[in-house]
Amino acid sequence: MLFGYLDAGSGSLILQAILGGAAGILVAFKAWKARMMGKRAVADVEGSDGSAVPTDS
Amino acid sequence: MRLLDERGLAGWEALAATDFFAKATADGRLIASKRVDPPAPGAAAALEHPLVPFVSYPYEWTFSMLRDAALLQLDLLAESLAEGLTMKDATPYNIQFVEGRPVFIDIGSFEPYSPGEPWIGYRQFTRQFLFPLMMRAYAGVPFQPWLRGNPEGPTAGDMRNLLGFWQRMRPSTLLHVSLQARMEERMSGTAVRSQLKTAGFNAELILANVRKLRKLVEGLESSGREAGWIEYESCQHVGRDRETKTRFLEAALADLTPSRVLDLGANDCHFAERAAAHGCTAVAVDGDEPVLDAVYRKGSPVSIVLSDLNNPSPSQGWAEMERPGLTARARPDLVVAYGLIHHLIYTASIPPTAVLDWLAGFECPVLVEFVAPDDEMVAKLTANKVEAELHPGREKGEFESAISARFSVAATENLGEGSRTLYRLNPLPANSGATGAE
Repeated sequence: MLFGYLDAGSGSLILQAILGGAAGILVAFKAWKARMMGKRAVADVEGSDGSAVPTDS
Repeated sequence: MRLLDERGLAGWEALAATDFFAKATADGRLIASKRVDPPAPGAAAALEHPLVPFVSYPYEWTFSMLRDAALLQLDLLAESLAEGLTMKDATPYNIQFVEGRPVFIDIGSFEPYSPGEPWIGYRQFTRQFLFPLMMRAYAGVPFQPWLRGNPEGPTAGDMRNLLGFWQRMRPSTLLHVSLQARMEERMSGTAVRSQLKTAGFNAELILANVRKLRKLVEGLESSGREAGWIEYESCQHVGRDRETKTRFLEAALADLTPSRVLDLGANDCHFAERAAAHGCTAVAVDGDEPVLDAVYRKGSPVSIVLSDLNNPSPSQGWAEMERPGLTARARPDLVVAYGLIHHLIYTASIPPTAVLDWLAGFECPVLVEFVAPDDEMVAKLTANKVEAELHPGREKGEFESAISARFSVAATENLGEGSRTLYRLNPLPANSGATGAE
């Protein structure tokens, strides 16, 4: 009897793209950029209605 | 028998339709599977697999065994990706050794690949295969105690702390260890799968990573420890007594026709291999990794278990039920304990009566070699001990008296110059009330 437990790990998932070579580095950059833009959009929305702007986690 | 739910059934049907499944099953890398109907109530399907003769765990494997298991894991992932499947985990607990070869046993690991998805098992692969191998290859640190203490394996952060500056400067450790540790620290808990998919992640990137990992794993070699008993067979008494001991074992195998033989302190596995040649499942336990690794590499069919017998693998995992201890798994029909008990008595300081109690606990016939206090090997083992530090009951007469409280003696034979004796012991009937009476 074995119970499986697996945490893929966010950083490890992004790292996989980098490990895939030149094409993967571009994918990782795009994913990172999308993440940054997503964060900025959230910050803009939260900042515009007067609530606190979250800092980078 | 394996029960499948709807998701598992979809994975099985996709797997069974591939060419790679037929090939990997035929060449023995993947366990054979047969769908049986009807399944148990509540299950979508059921699969039947052949019985694995003896289950061992990665913390009982040698370096070469874990490396071969890692290569098998990577090969199966690459081959499944080429046919539109992926593997949802990457753990050595899905692999067992049968007749000296790794076999992947978890058919439920395969599922259809969804385009854009990363390899979910990468982090697990590094923690449970790559880092333990790197630990031994780069830092000279045995991985078995770590995996026994934490079956999830070391994290990238643990590995970064273990490695020295120059070891961290290797390209492989910069990427898989240092960069992974840094990214895990910065991005913990962040959802990234959909972003990777949108950014164009694809199976080719996984395959490129797997190809590089394979090359890396293949190039790792064990380092950091000199052989302990690797020259054991060159000891004078070993060559002198081997023929007699083999004959004594062969007679027991012929009389008892055991199904499973447990060779304790197996060293070069000569006797376990004799048992295997008789068609037995031979389980060979020893604490010396270089010796067992050499046995594995020569292709021996015995089931190898790397474990110190004065501290065998305990029952572990959830409710102490996931991975049973070595004794609970052993269930032998015959135990062979040649050249062992004097090491337990004189080196590990286990009382002779406790050693006999332990052997009686297997509840089957036992072949044991007694070594008298005046033997040259005992003189070496006790060179720095005084009488007060040694347990009583070490003389032959005392030992035989302790035997008679636990076993009946079926046969004896003196070895060499008379300081060593072989005994074939049968357990006393359960209602005799004599076992462990001292």
